[in-house]
Amino acid sequence: MNSIFAKRRSRLLAMKSLRDNYVPGDKLVTCPHCGQESQRKQVAQSLSVCPKCGYHFPVGAYYRLSMVLDPGSFRELHEKYPAGDPLSFPGYREKLESCQRKTGLTEAAVTAVGAIGGRKCVVGVLDNRFLMGSMSAAVGEKITLAIEYAGKNKLPLILFCASGGARMQEGILSLMQMAKTSAALARFSEKGLLYISVLTDPTTGGVTASFASLGDIILAEPGALIGFAGPRVIQQTIGETLPEGFQRAEFQMEHGFVDAVVPRGEMRDALSRLLRLHERGGRP
Amino acid sequence: MLKRVLIANRGEIALRVLRACREMGIETVAAYSTPDAEALHVQLATQAVCIGPARAADSYLNQTALLAAAKATGCDGVHPGYGFLSENPDFADACAAAGLAFIGPSGDTIRKAGSKSAARDIMRSAGVPVPPGSNGPVSSVEDALSAAEAVGYPVLLKASAGGGGRGIRRCDGPADLPSAYAEARAEARACFGDDEMYLEKLVLRPRHIEFQILADRQGHVIHLGDRDCSVQRRNQKLIEEAPARCLTPALRGEMGEAAVRAARAVGYEGAGTVEFLLDGDGQHFYFMEINTRIQVEHGITELITGVDLVREQLRVASGLPLELTQEEVRLTGHAMECRVNAEDPEKGFQPCPGKVAFLHFPGGNGVRVDSCLYGGCTLPPYYDSLAAKLMVHAPTRLEAIRKMRRCLEEFALEGFPTNAELSYQILYHPIFVRGGCTTAFLDEHLPELLDFNRRVRESEGQS
Repeated sequence: MNSIFAKRRSRLLAMKSLRDNYVPGDKLVTCPHCGQESQRKQVAQSLSVCPKCGYHFPVGAYYRLSMVLDPGSFRELHEKYPAGDPLSFPGYREKLESCQRKTGLTEAAVTAVGAIGGRKCVVGVLDNRFLMGSMSAAVGEKITLAIEYAGKNKLPLILFCASGGARMQEGILSLMQMAKTSAALARFSEKGLLYISVLTDPTTGGVTASFASLGDIILAEPGALIGFAGPRVIQQTIGETLPEGFQRAEFQMEHGFVDAVVPRGEMRDALSRLLRLHERGGRP
Repeated sequence: MLKRVLIANRGEIALRVLRACREMGIETVAAYSTPDAEALHVQLATQAVCIGPARAADSYLNQTALLAAAKATGCDGVHPGYGFLSENPDFADACAAAGLAFIGPSGDTIRKAGSKSAARDIMRSAGVPVPPGSNGPVSSVEDALSAAEAVGYPVLLKASAGGGGRGIRRCDGPADLPSAYAEARAEARACFGDDEMYLEKLVLRPRHIEFQILADRQGHVIHLGDRDCSVQRRNQKLIEEAPARCLTPALRGEMGEAAVRAARAVGYEGAGTVEFLLDGDGQHFYFMEINTRIQVEHGITELITGVDLVREQLRVASGLPLELTQEEVRLTGHAMECRVNAEDPEKGFQPCPGKVAFLHFPGGNGVRVDSCLYGGCTLPPYYDSLAAKLMVHAPTRLEAIRKMRRCLEEFALEGFPTNAELSYQILYHPIFVRGGCTTAFLDEHLPELLDFNRRVRESEGQS
């Protein structure tokens, strides 16, 4: 009679461990960079980085936040801020809704208050699964609100940028976000607060031309495409072959646009160290 | 207020009704069949009357015996529970003719809601979206073929009188239609004594969302939120939750209003459920049917709203108005129910009731167990195999899942196999945890889940 519960428990635990070790569907992931296959589990353990060549797979906004923030410190800001369709652009509403369903996000930006290494900060992430992380009025507003929140509460700000640029479907209103976010960052900077910009693959267009490039410190993930116009456009315009690795994070670092290239596995430590060094606005 | 109610049902729901009656000071008369003589509700009722032998047709479906029992014991109301005579319009009429309050809607309402093709027309005119399909019943294979051509394959052939997944066939192309038509029709005639068929487009990978409604005789109709019952096998639900994770507040409001319109359209009274199919992209919903009874999974709605649905049923049947308005309905937290059935998933879900050798129910904060079992009792093999309903209530969905896992770990039943372990595995399935279950989920993943079961059993055999 006494062993009933123990037996049941051990059986259910055995089932749970089978479940935990079970990987559904494809067990192998093919890396688009080196073309080699790796175990899905291994890729997941290395934070979605190809174990063979170090290629950084794109990751979702919330996963990105979970990688850098201290467990349990996450508190989202303005999560309900709605996406708009100010121009009633044909087909745009449907596109938005399908993206919302696919990603579970309301817009391409997620902003949150959290802590990294025990130091409180505001973190914003652009999710490139959501219409290529393009900057709409709502994204611009969410970023601006996050900047203002950080400014008001005297917190350091970290933005993970990944964007195809301004969102075409919102026309001039999305372009205006460049000025708005830049102005908000200028005010933020006047308060002597720290802004770290982290450029992930790809950071292009209006986002590069505004808040992505305004960081006091600019970090980048290895292999990230960083530029204003894409390499194909440039090649067509100037009619010359571009050098290898053009506009990649390493190239941009050599040319002084990026301060450091930090692999995903070291990002958390790097940010934690930077926040510690700048804890009192850089004063000793 | 009713004074004495005959419970024309058995098992867990009979007990549920009995408990509500006791709390309201209503006397109860349990009508039972011979194998149920030792059932818990029979022992707890004020009075118990044996109404016939094991076969349901002779006992729980025997209208004459039930009405005679009600008369003889001086009852003024009859609660039909779910299944058996709960959605039988003739029984509702017979009760009314005998001067008994049938706790449920009137016979006419049940007839309107019960004939699926008639319900389709009523709903369409009430502005409730229905899946595209045949206009009215189809009377021949040629009719069905042309209707199917018009809406596009795949289609579903359904018996107008159908329910519980019987009399339904899926056709993917014109080739399978004639045989499916014949089969479904034969099944409908055998099960429901009525072979009228209709046809509608099959919504692929849908979710099963249903709204609980309450209506009184004063014309108030409210809805008490929704339930997601997508985890089902052959239309038999296994895990239900409330509220549905996939609904946005706007869609929930829209569907709730549609449910209320649907209930008004058939002149509803008492507690009922309006079932919808939500299509794969979570955008469009279609009316499926109205269940004119209390449902097995009513408990989770009670947990999130705090409303006692059986109590409301009894009040409405006594002619009293509803105790709350739509504005007062608040959905708090997340509730989940696991049905524990006496069936063996590894043997094709074959029912395997028997004697309970040892029984322990989980408990603790936010846990509710509705069951007719007690240690040493025997679950008779003649009726459905539902043994217990485990329900949990927690602030968030994830906490509810965790609580339910804990409950299933604690739950112990020796004597016969149950599907509890299968439910436990579903609670760990990433698709379920993410809230992405459609009605196809269980069928698609059953082999994988059963494989775990088998491997665990094998390793136990070795050690």
